[in-house]
This record gives sequence, C-alpha cells and structure tokens, in this order.
Amino acid sequence: MDSQGSPRKAGALLLLVVWNLLFCQNVHSLPICPSGAANCQVSLRDLFDRVVMLSHYIHSLSSEMFIDFDKRYAQGRGFIAKAINSCHTSSLATPEDKEQAQQIPPEILLKLILSMLYAWNDPLYQLVTEVGGMQEAPDAMLSRAKEIEIQNRRLLEGIEKIVGQVHPGVKENDVFSVWSQLPSLQAADEDSRLFAFYNLLHCLRRDSHKVDNYLKLLKCRIIYDNNC
Amino acid sequence: VVSTTALVLLFLNISLLNGQSPPGKPEIVKCRSPDKETFTCWWKPGTDGGLPTNYSLTYQREGEKTRYECPDYITSGPNSCFFSQKHTTIWKIYIITVNATNRMGSSASDPLYIDVIYIVEPEPPQNLTLEVKQPKDKKPYLLIKWFPPTVIDVRTGWFTMEYEVRLKPTEADEWEVHFAGQQTHFKVFSLYPGHRYLVQTRCKPDHGYWSKWGLESSIEIPSDFPTKDTTVWIFVAVLSAVICLVMVLAVALKGYSMMTCIFPPVPGPKIKGFDAHLLEKGKSEELLSALGCQDFPPTSDCEDLLVDFLEVYDNEDEQLMPPHSKDYPGQGVKPTHLDPDSDSGHGSYDSHSLLSEKCEDPHAYPSTFHIPEVNEKPENPEENIPCIPDPQSISKEGNGPYFPTDESKSSTWPLPQPGQHIFRSPYHSIADVCKLAGDPAGALASLLDKAEKDILKSSKTFETGGEGKVDEQKEMEDAHSETKQDASWPLLREKAPLIHGKPPDYVAVHKVNQDGVLSLYPKQNENGHQPEKSRAPEGNKEYAKVSGVMESNILVLVPHAQATNMALCEEPAKKAPPSLEQNQSEKDRASLTAASSNCRGPLGVLDYLDPTGFVHSFH
Repeated sequence: MDSQGSPRKAGALLLLVVWNLLFCQNVHSLPICPSGAANCQVSLRDLFDRVVMLSHYIHSLSSEMFIDFDKRYAQGRGFIAKAINSCHTSSLATPEDKEQAQQIPPEILLKLILSMLYAWNDPLYQLVTEVGGMQEAPDAMLSRAKEIEIQNRRLLEGIEKIVGQVHPGVKENDVFSVWSQLPSLQAADEDSRLFAFYNLLHCLRRDSHKVDNYLKLLKCRIIYDNNC
Repeated sequence: VVSTTALVLLFLNISLLNGQSPPGKPEIVKCRSPDKETFTCWWKPGTDGGLPTNYSLTYQREGEKTRYECPDYITSGPNSCFFSQKHTTIWKIYIITVNATNRMGSSASDPLYIDVIYIVEPEPPQNLTLEVKQPKDKKPYLLIKWFPPTVIDVRTGWFTMEYEVRLKPTEADEWEVHFAGQQTHFKVFSLYPGHRYLVQTRCKPDHGYWSKWGLESSIEIPSDFPTKDTTVWIFVAVLSAVICLVMVLAVALKGYSMMTCIFPPVPGPKIKGFDAHLLEKGKSEELLSALGCQDFPPTSDCEDLLVDFLEVYDNEDEQLMPPHSKDYPGQGVKPTHLDPDSDSGHGSYDSHSLLSEKCEDPHAYPSTFHIPEVNEKPENPEENIPCIPDPQSISKEGNGPYFPTDESKSSTWPLPQPGQHIFRSPYHSIADVCKLAGDPAGALASLLDKAEKDILKSSKTFETGGEGKVDEQKEMEDAHSETKQDASWPLLREKAPLIHGKPPDYVAVHKVNQDGVLSLYPKQNENGHQPEKSRAPEGNKEYAKVSGVMESNILVLVPHAQATNMALCEEPAKKAPPSLEQNQSEKDRASLTAASSNCRGPLGVLDYLDPTGFVHSFH
C-alpha cells in the first residue's frame, strides 16, 4: 500500500508544481518596498496607482465620518456657519480650481501635498485619542479614525517615494501648519467640544479631497501625459 | 410707536384688501455642479404677494467679505443662478442667499452653505452605441460603447468618472445592472438570441452623485447567437473522466482486496468423490462411481457426503482411490503435503470439498482417504484409492454397521485440525485402511502410528467421549501392537485404518469378513443427508465406540451417546439387511448388533450394526 501511495503523492506534487508554473506566469509580483530600502525599484506608475488608491480611500472614510457626525450631533447647531475659514491648513497656498492646479508645476504640487499630509499627522492622532475617549462616540467613528490615521501614514510614505523619483534632491519642506485646536477638543463644554470635532472632521474631509484630486491630476499629467 | 404700529396695520390692511403682500420667503432648492468647474443653484419662489417680485441671489465666499450677486440668471433657466468658471471656486464654502423683493417688501431665504466639490452631479453619458460582435472561434457578445458628457474633463485627470450600464429584454421588468468602472465600453455575453434589448448608461464622479440614466438604445440580438457555454460542459466531462480513471485505477490496484472485502469468497461446492480427472477422460462411469452414485439420478443417499465410510478390503481388487490431490485439484484440496500437525485453515475448506466430492456412498471415500499425513506417499495412489469397492459391495445398503463420522467436519478430515471436528471416533479412516490393504506390511505401522497420533490429537480436542476414544484407540493400538495376538484382527493390524487426524472421519464397519476383519467405511454422511450441513461443533460426530472385544475377536460397538448427527436414520437400517444377506454364513461372526434404527437421532445415538449382519466374507 505504501508503495502505491508514494508514487501517487509524487504525482500529485508534480502536477501541482506544473500547474503553478503554467498558470502563475502572468502574475506580476508587485514588490512592496520595505521602508528604508534604498534600492527598491517600484515603477512610478505603480506608485501613483497606489497613492491614488490610498487617497481615494482616505477621503471616502473622512466623508463618511463627517456625514455621520453631522447627522448625529450637529443638527440645528449651526456649526457650519462657524466653521468658515477655520481649517489650520488654509494658510497653505493650494490651488482652488482647475486652472490653478494645472498651472502649478508638479513638484510644487507634490510638496504641497506633502505639507498637508504632514499637517494632519498630529490632528489625526489626537482625533483617534479623543474619539476613543468619547463615550458617546459610535464604534464606526473610532474605527474609521484609526484607519484614516494608518492610511495617512502610508500615503505619506508613498508620496515621499514619488517625490524621490520625480524630483529628487528636493529640500525638506519648511512650511508647517500647526494645529492648535486640541484644547477645544478637550473642552468641558459639550457644545464647544462637539464643534471642535465638527470642525476637525470638516477640514479633514476637505483636505483629503484636495489631496485626492491633486494626485489624480498629477497621475494623468505625469504618467499619461494629460491623456487619461 | 403706537402710531407707527397703527400705520403699519393700516398699510397691511390696505394691502390685504388689495391682495398685495410682500413676497414669501424663497427657498433654494439645490445647487449642482456638472463638471466641478461650474455650478448652478435653483430656488423656489415663495408667494409673490400678488405683486411682481424680483428675485436676486447673492453669495459670499469663505474667507472673503465681499458679497456678490449672481452673475447669470439665465443660462440655467428661470429661478436659477449659473456660476461660471470664473466665479467658481472649489474647496471653499459658498454662502448663498436668495432675496425676493416686491413693492411691498422683500424676503430673504435661508442661507445655504455649500462647497462645490460636494455637489457634483454629472450629465448622463453620451453617444451610446450598441453592436453585436461575433468573432470567429470566440464567443459572441454585445459591445456597448459610450462617451462621457461633453463638458467633463477627464483627460487631465481633473475629473474621474465611473460608469454603470443596465440592459434588459424589451418585455422584461427588471434591469440587469453592471458596474463598468472607469471604462467607456462594456461587453455582455449572456444574451437571449432573438430578443430585443434596451440599454442605458449613467455615470458618477469619484466623489459625487450619480447622473440620470441616459437615453435608451435598443438592439436586436440575432437568432443564431450561440449561448451555450460549452466550457462548463467540457470541464464537467474532463472531471468525470478523471474521476472514472481514478476509480478504475483504485479498483485495479486494490480490486482484489476490495472485492474480497465486499464480496467474501464463497466456498465452492465440492462434490465428494468427484474426480475431475475422470471427467476429463470422459469416463462418466468411473466418475459416477467415484462419486459414489450407483444410480443416476443420485438418490438421497448421495447427499450424505459427510459420512466417510472406511472400507477395509483385503483383496487386491480393491481400487485405491487416487490421491486426493490428484483427483480434486480444483477443489482446493491440498492433500498430500499436508502436515498432519499443521492445522491450517484450508483444511476445513479442503475437507468440505473432499466431502462434497465424495458421493454419499461411503465408497466414495477414496477421496476422503486422502489423508494428508497418510499421503506421505502420494506416489502410491493405489494405497489411497483402495477404497473403491465394487459397486455392489459398496452400496450403502451393503454396508454393515458403520460408524457415522462426524459429518460436519468430515470434510475436514484430510487435515487434522484441532479446531475442527476432530475425528472423534477411534475408527481409522478408510484411507488408512486402504493403505494398509495396499501395502499392509509397510504402511500399516506408519499408518497406524499416524492414525494413532491423529486420533489422539483429535480426541484431545474433542471433549465428549474423548476418553472413550482414546481408550478405544489404545485398545486398537494394543491390538495393533500385538500383531499376533488376535487372529481376528489381522486386517486391522495389517490394514488398520489409519486414523488420520481428520476430525470428521468416522469409520463405519462395513462388514466383517470371515477372518474377523472389520470392513470399515469412513462414515461421511450417512443416509445422504446434507453433507455440508454444519453441525454443532461437537455434536455432529457419529461414531461408535468399541465397547469391547469379544472372545471371537469381534468388536462390540456401541453408539456414542453424545454423537449428534444428521439424521441418517434409514440408511443404517437399509444397510444392515444387505450385509445380512451377503454374509449369512458369517453371521455368527459379528457380534455387533445393528441398531435397528441405525439412526443417529437427535440424541446422537449412534447406530451400530448388528454383527450378525456383518458376518460375510469380504469380496
């Protein structure tokens, strides 16, 4: 019996190997560069596909979070009127329509994107902390906040890689937008606290959309030469 | 204040009397941007108060203090305001207000805070085309193509659009919706030929609202549109073939063990006394005689296959049975080389075959005589086949007292097997006897020895009456040892039937000749009862115990109480008379009394023959 079993096993194994060889040829293994790998060679196209995917995802999450919060906590409070011109990244000279966006050189646009992402590192961290501390916060909000924070870091890495390929040798961006609304987030007054959250989520939604749009513009411009 | 109030009330009264009032509050219905570069706001006017009312829209942008008025009231239709590219800024909140003014007054709507990027709703896709494609050697399909709305800038990546397609046969109620991603074409494969299909598309920005469904297009699917999906059937066929192949291989490789597991081998019937050799030669007469069937069709006696009669002859005319092995190779008998001490399983198998081969006629025993231990000399077939007496003498009726052997395991008698019905009776098998007859001098001693051994063996395993048997055996042995002692036992001495270890062998005394020699038959299946009938393990043995030897050297046989049996009731009775007839003159010889019944009844009463009936000369 054993003598019959081992040839069968060998035959099955051989079949499996052949199957893999035949059918797995076309799969491109996308190497994911571990952070810090100097000689990692991911194509620019793949990089852009990846960052666009991330930025799209982040904006979807932010949008859901805002709409959820608005429906749940901000009805009738008139928060939107107060949230005018209150984002901490408004000082950044980001393009505000298509012409402006197309006129900006890609590298500057990339830098702006990086600046925005850097500016959001801290607020996102605080958001996760404060939402976690909020007793009345729904679980979905907390999970989304955590996810946004994680994905934002990955997006940052991806864009840094793109910058390294598109515009190597660029200096570190000195413009930092400081977010100083933490005390508002931790305010004792519920109205103030809720508005602080509202404002944070509103600005997050907008900035994530900006990043997403800019990246899609850059992708079509750099990779497809304005012929998406 | 009182006077002012009075005046206002007067004024209102006058207005109401006239039907005039300030306009009602307008309401901004919605604002939409089709391309993320422009947008339009629509409002719904309130009551006009009976007077012509002007509506104006003003807006203010985030971070600016200036209030602007709507640049374009016309492009988007009545009660609308169109913001061109110049006036559109995205990622900034617009605060829009509509004022309604008439002669009586004005009213303003609630301000609307909008960000253009969140109000994007494109127009439906354009230029929808349908085409049925039937490429050679490929599956046919319906190709749906469209274009994005004209104003949308997808090329630069400013606008990212996703599409959806839906189709249905004309008569169907439900649409079949497919998401097409960012591509502007779609292939549909599963269509019903001969039907007319309606197709529509719509689109959506990456973050925005779905457009309306575009204009319907229809197309007729040709009747020869093949819809069969053969790949599935091919896959099923291949899978079935593989499974069948695997099963066949499994069966082929392990078929035997599987089959034996599922269908255990059925022991083949063995006809006692069946000589295939004779059959080959075409000697039906000999064959039948070997089977022990004197007359055809076989009588019921012939069914008594388990009775082995040990017939001892003292004349050279006796034919020795061919070695069992030779005769019945087909039956699976492995006679000659059986080790008397080895109790292999096939002994029973063989013995069954042996028994079945032999006809009920005890004379058929020649095959049974194939005692393994005895057959150390397979080359002496004669010795082994001495026991085919002439038909007449062999007739069952002619059998004298015989001792029914254990029928159930008579078949096993070729092999001495402890587990089997051992040959309980102290009687020697016919083969032994025959051997003695054939070669009295030389074979006797060995045969006797062996028989003794076998008997001892068999008696050991056989509880009931074992002692008696042993005693008998000892008596026999003594008789054997005293070769010159008993003149009445010359044959026994010389031709003492060897008691082979075969359990089922019993010896039935066929007759007693003048010299006081017992003619013994291996008793197999007396009276032709079912040979193969399985007996009670110990009960089936019929044997007669020698209760004593009379002065005239006559064995007194008594039926063993424990012997059960198949009812071989009549044969003994039948057999007695012929012997009587034959040997009237020697009646005085036999002191044995034949049990009238001669039946082995359920009590296992052994029938023994009346010695008077045995007094007849052999041959």
